[in-house]
Amino acid sequence: MEATSDKRLALQDAMVFLGAIASGTEQAIGASANSISYLAGVNLGKKLSSGVPRTLDIAAALQATRDVLEKNDYLWLFEPFKTHDQEALYREVEEGTEVMLVFRDCMIRQSLFRFGHSQKGSLCNMMYGFFAGALQNIMGRESSLEIVHAGENACYKKLVVRNS
Amino acid sequence: MALEITVHEQSCRGCELCIDICPTKVFTRDEEKRLCTVAHAEDCIACLSCTYICPSGAIEHRDIHLVKNFYRDEEFCRKMGRFL
Repeated sequence: MEATSDKRLALQDAMVFLGAIASGTEQAIGASANSISYLAGVNLGKKLSSGVPRTLDIAAALQATRDVLEKNDYLWLFEPFKTHDQEALYREVEEGTEVMLVFRDCMIRQSLFRFGHSQKGSLCNMMYGFFAGALQNIMGRESSLEIVHAGENACYKKLVVRNS
Repeated sequence: MALEITVHEQSCRGCELCIDICPTKVFTRDEEKRLCTVAHAEDCIACLSCTYICPSGAIEHRDIHLVKNFYRDEEFCRKMGRFL
């Protein structure tokens, strides 16, 4: 139990540090910082999901992604969500399969808030990259994760897993 | 998650900021009362943006998941201050 706690504290320190680096990078190189964070997320997603059984079922792939985060003690959990007027959680759209995700406990949001950095910045692109990397491994598909709303207590994002 | 949202009628000024900011269209405007009301509580993701933005603090949530805050290490924060 103590080891887990130490691990989490170390991760929180690292995230706060990363928040400062990301904020500084944004000031120094502008929008290019997004690409750097995105690629870091892709690498992380691929690394953490290596060995996860492949599936083409998006619900199973998302659960596997969530399991990977939970197993590694990452405070980055999410859940699929649909509003009352949406017929299904997973919808077929022109680009592929679309699902809305709610992120409640997010280590990125918490690290940004610690020193008042703004949301929807380059560090949020790391999550986009993480999903792209993990789903590339698990489903063999490209994906995009768009921030629909960045809230104080939860974020609302649109995940699209492309058909090919 | 069965959450409850209340817009206190005595406090609401009908500014519609909650309607504008809500990503899942939980609120609507009651034209008769000229106030904002909850139309679809089941669509609320508990982002709390409405609560934070409401100028009169009229919106209250119950039975929601509040995010786990990071611990605060004063020494670490002082070190981080050098980078900011």
